[in-house]
Amino acid sequence: MFTTRRGLLIGAVALAAAGCTRETAQIITSDADLTTALNTARWLAAAADALDFGDLAEDHRAHVTTLERLLRPNVVPVVEDLGQLPADDAALAEAEATGSRQAADACLATESDFAVVLGEIAASRAAHAAVLA
Amino acid sequence: MTAVDTGLAAEYAAIYAYGAMAVHLDGDPRTLAEALESEHRSRRDALLDYYDAHGLEAAPSQAGYDIEHVEDAAGAEAVLLAVELNVTTAWRSGVAATEPTEREISMRMYADSAVSLARWRLAVGQPFADPWPGRPE
Repeated sequence: MFTTRRGLLIGAVALAAAGCTRETAQIITSDADLTTALNTARWLAAAADALDFGDLAEDHRAHVTTLERLLRPNVVPVVEDLGQLPADDAALAEAEATGSRQAADACLATESDFAVVLGEIAASRAAHAAVLA
Repeated sequence: MTAVDTGLAAEYAAIYAYGAMAVHLDGDPRTLAEALESEHRSRRDALLDYYDAHGLEAAPSQAGYDIEHVEDAAGAEAVLLAVELNVTTAWRSGVAATEPTEREISMRMYADSAVSLARWRLAVGQPFADPWPGRPE
């Protein structure tokens, strides 16, 4: 089939372009840190809404939107049963602080390109916690 | 220049700005400004300890910083808002550091600066909520 060196080269390029190479296919898997951050953001949005902190809920929804986009094509199902939501401002502040530590730990541990977005989420939640406290 | 160098420079500038602006403030904003200046000094000291502990040489603060001349409280509040935003932006960029200790100190300072930014925004009557503190627009 490839009788000349040039023919061999052209054939190799054609095969590579068609995806017929020996490179191992990579399965796109969901990033565990982003998934955890997403589930927490959804929960915090519901918690803030329940206590009428609409501006805080909007921040969490912005995190949800970004995290869902970063996780595509994976889709993390929404958990219908959110469990017990915070009963008052102090409990929400504690939940925000816990969520901040969770995102900060993920930021420090991640080897992905998502350190900054995880750090931003941690900082935003830390600010919420401080103002609520 | 490392991420920590950049953050330290921003903290130096913030301390200078608070010193220059506090005279224009009264009441609660003045009290908060003094508290935030103290926090910036604490962060500076923690950073200088970090340099010492790692055998590194920290850049000294400058004799002066180019900040806007203001005549009243509103002007001072606006300058300090810009200062807090600048510090937060500096530490946010440090979170991208690949060196673990640098990322760790930047993350800690970033969260603290986002808190300071939110408190100052509240003090000057601005919305404090911000999903991406310090992210350049």
